[in-house]
Amino acid sequence: MKEDTGKKILFALGVLFILVFCLVPFIWMLIISFNERADFIVNIGSQLTTKNYIDILRLDNLHFLDYLRNSIIIAGAAALLSGFIGALAAYAVSRISFPGKILLVFAVLSMSMFPQISIVGYLYKFMAALGWINTYQALILPYVSWSLPLALWIMMSYFSQIPYELDKAAQIDGASKLQTLTKIIFPITLPGFLSTILLLLMFAFNEFLFALMLTIDYRTRTVPVGIALFQGLHGELPWGYIMAAAVISCIPVIAIALVFQKHIIQGLTRGAVKQ
Amino acid sequence: MKYYKLSIILYILCILFSNCSQEPPTLTFAIGGAPSEVEYWEILIKKFKEKSNISVKILRQPTDTDQRRQGLVIPLKAKKKDPDVFLMDVIWVGQFAASDWLQPLAHYINKDTLNVDVFFQSIIEQVDMYNKKLVALPVYIDCGLLYYRKDLLEKYGCVIPETWDDLIHCAQIIQKHEKKENPQFRGFVWQGAQYEGLICTFLEFAVSHRGGIVDKNGNIVINCKENIEALELMKNMIHSYKISPPNTFTEMKEEEVRLFFDAGNALFERNWPYAWSLHEREDSPVQGKIAITLLPKTADGKNAAALGGWHIGISKYSDNKDNAWELVKFIIAYETQKELTLNLGWNPGRSDIYDDSEIKENVPHIAVLKKAFEYTAARPNLPYYTQLSEILQRHINACLSGKLSAHKALFQSQKEIERIVDIYHVSNQ
Amino acid sequence: MKVNREFKEALLFVAPLVIFISFFILLPICGTFWTSLWQDVAFISKKFIGLENYVRLLSDRHFWQSTYFTLLFPLISVSLEMFFGMIFALVLNETFRFRGILRGISLIPWAIPSIVGARIWQLIYRYDYGLANLFLKMFGIQSINWLGSPVGAFSALVLADVWRTTPFVAIILLAGLQTVPNDIYDQAQVDGSNFVQRFFKITLPLIKPIVIIALLFRTIDAIRVFDLIYVITEGGPGGVTTSLSLYGYKFFLLGDFGYGSTVSVILFLISFIIALTYIKVGRIRTSIL
Repeated sequence: MKEDTGKKILFALGVLFILVFCLVPFIWMLIISFNERADFIVNIGSQLTTKNYIDILRLDNLHFLDYLRNSIIIAGAAALLSGFIGALAAYAVSRISFPGKILLVFAVLSMSMFPQISIVGYLYKFMAALGWINTYQALILPYVSWSLPLALWIMMSYFSQIPYELDKAAQIDGASKLQTLTKIIFPITLPGFLSTILLLLMFAFNEFLFALMLTIDYRTRTVPVGIALFQGLHGELPWGYIMAAAVISCIPVIAIALVFQKHIIQGLTRGAVKQ
Repeated sequence: MKYYKLSIILYILCILFSNCSQEPPTLTFAIGGAPSEVEYWEILIKKFKEKSNISVKILRQPTDTDQRRQGLVIPLKAKKKDPDVFLMDVIWVGQFAASDWLQPLAHYINKDTLNVDVFFQSIIEQVDMYNKKLVALPVYIDCGLLYYRKDLLEKYGCVIPETWDDLIHCAQIIQKHEKKENPQFRGFVWQGAQYEGLICTFLEFAVSHRGGIVDKNGNIVINCKENIEALELMKNMIHSYKISPPNTFTEMKEEEVRLFFDAGNALFERNWPYAWSLHEREDSPVQGKIAITLLPKTADGKNAAALGGWHIGISKYSDNKDNAWELVKFIIAYETQKELTLNLGWNPGRSDIYDDSEIKENVPHIAVLKKAFEYTAARPNLPYYTQLSEILQRHINACLSGKLSAHKALFQSQKEIERIVDIYHVSNQ
Repeated sequence: MKVNREFKEALLFVAPLVIFISFFILLPICGTFWTSLWQDVAFISKKFIGLENYVRLLSDRHFWQSTYFTLLFPLISVSLEMFFGMIFALVLNETFRFRGILRGISLIPWAIPSIVGARIWQLIYRYDYGLANLFLKMFGIQSINWLGSPVGAFSALVLADVWRTTPFVAIILLAGLQTVPNDIYDQAQVDGSNFVQRFFKITLPLIKPIVIIALLFRTIDAIRVFDLIYVITEGGPGGVTTSLSLYGYKFFLLGDFGYGSTVSVILFLISFIIALTYIKVGRIRTSIL
């Protein structure tokens, strides 16, 4: 019984630690975003306010809504494309045996280990030559490619759980491989596919280095770059705006994290653990 | 269903070509900066269109200066026709001219018999002439100034400092007393973070010690007695005199410095002219209590104010150079420059505007500015200046953080910069 | 005949993936290698110089300093992340009422954009009104310029990174813990060993493969660290916290694509070697197929 009490105390401490560790910086961000001044603790006289939020949503020249729109379009398009392309390839890999399959999977998976910096320099020149700097496709296409290893990996683990008999049955009925995938297999893995899309969305929404190099202004700039380069006329840091923008851009991701917590954890760990 | 993949490919092609709509052949003018500035440029461009019937498309650039340069370098390097006209930071002019991207302007100036003498001649010589050719013209000029609290100097019976020793002495006395009531109070705040502004501060300290970055013969001499003394002084202000805050070398950029002084926490401030109108705004705690003067020097040194600002140039690859010149002419014209001064608070490159009665009335401190512009110290006009600056920033910042001695920092900078010169210069011949 | 048809089908299925990856990852990688053999500077005419850029690296002190940072940073931060991640995972693996919510909360630091995390920590470390110094002030300790000393700036970055990625490690480890059947513990409990002993004797060996996978992911990710540094220290003070990613980026920004590519190639090779080492030493086998 003594061990049980010890364990309980340790467990409670652990829970407390997780809460403090994860939430304190986050709460600090919330507090700043609702204050007139970031230095409110040393400068008395700062008041609670929602001005920061109203300003970044209203003032056109802060362009926050533009950043948000760009991010949603870019991340959305990239996640969907990458999800579909990844699913197609994953299906082939898990169902059809063809020469070079293992090599292909290994090659694609190892792509995710490349440092972004080793491709972004050339990508910049490439996009500049095409005149694509500061366009949506300049980000969507690399994002799709960059997240494909992840998409492939997760979808492969989902497909491998579906009994092969289903495919056989469908094929006996005369369905082609593509029809089998879209009509039979895909609907079964739909929850898995959705959690993959969620992960890809977060991945593309949070990306920074590509967006930093390949965009120029509010027409294509995404939220992370906007937040990193949020500056006043002479380089001052408008902390209130920055934190308000940060909170708003966190809301969708956090909502997804809390609501789909199970799916995300499942998606992330699917590939890692062979059950 | 068979066409499923095809539709994906079609979709991609659609995105790819959606941006390729044809633009009418107009001038492209690359402009960056804060949104409010860009918006004002839009108004100016409209006026230009009414006047000359030449339409201009504004190419919006990022706020960040390095990214702005990159945004120009790429099309120029690719010999693109656009942009036709652009603004350059003073420190880019050398790089752009060395790359032969700038259209020499002498021909147009002679054709229109334009008087170039109205500009500050020292600035034209230091920045806009490259290999004896005029390649750019100043639109907006900037220089380092010393802001001080008149009320505090008076209260403690101090005079306006002319030398660094005066400044330190005065700052130490006043800081000691003021700290009792305001523990945050510091004598002198300046830009010490690792960024381009640090080079400006360093240059001012160095030149006021009779040092500098480039010697009379055009050689880069960083590691010299005068510069070591200057850097030593900067370091001591933080670590031994303690009149500058400990975060000087981590966080202090223009605005951090400005806000610190603005809150009434400092006696002296080194900053650019823009800070004036912000300190003097209605709800500023220091409103009415401040004045500006030249930055101090050593007893036998000379005054120095680092030169900043933006210059206008025409791309050599422009397919529309005559119209481009019309635009340049419009922007540097007396009327436009005056409007820029009144509306954006830009200090014009034309010296005649400083004597304009309306300007004098609206911008009373402009007289001090005119005087300061006579002491400008320009950063070297070299194609590889940005690389040089990066090395210097890193070492000076390391010295300010206490990691390197002044001597070692400058010795290492000199060595690294000589390598850079080897790599970028020799191969340029 | 059938094999042939299947092969063709498979080809169609994987074609989009192969096209995308070839154009936007493989081609740029090769392009970077190729560019690193050129003097490709904005204001100088382009020139093939072979390995000269690589020779330049040898005597570039700042490059070596950045390499040192790039290797030390993952070593420290990943070790801490594994430690805290394990604690998280052990707690979250227990059965209790608000487990779902706590799991969701623990995901927050990882889910929000890394730039947002970096901005928050930048504000926490501020000298004059940062949270860290306010905390010190409560105990009457003098304010510290956290980002002002090499050690301080390094630790500040490590802490911010640990905060951000511990949840990720925890999730991966949690998945491992869930595969450990409960009856193994019952057996051990009968033998009289306590829960700490049980963890080291039973749990850890069982989840070792997954620990190595988590290590691999995190190390590779920490080696290419960019976002955090870009915002929090900008590589300072005096350049001591510059990672190779940031160093390479600086050269791209300065207009020297040749040398920037050379730095990037080195970082690429470092990640490659480390990944291979993990795979060899950890004997990661693909059970996926």
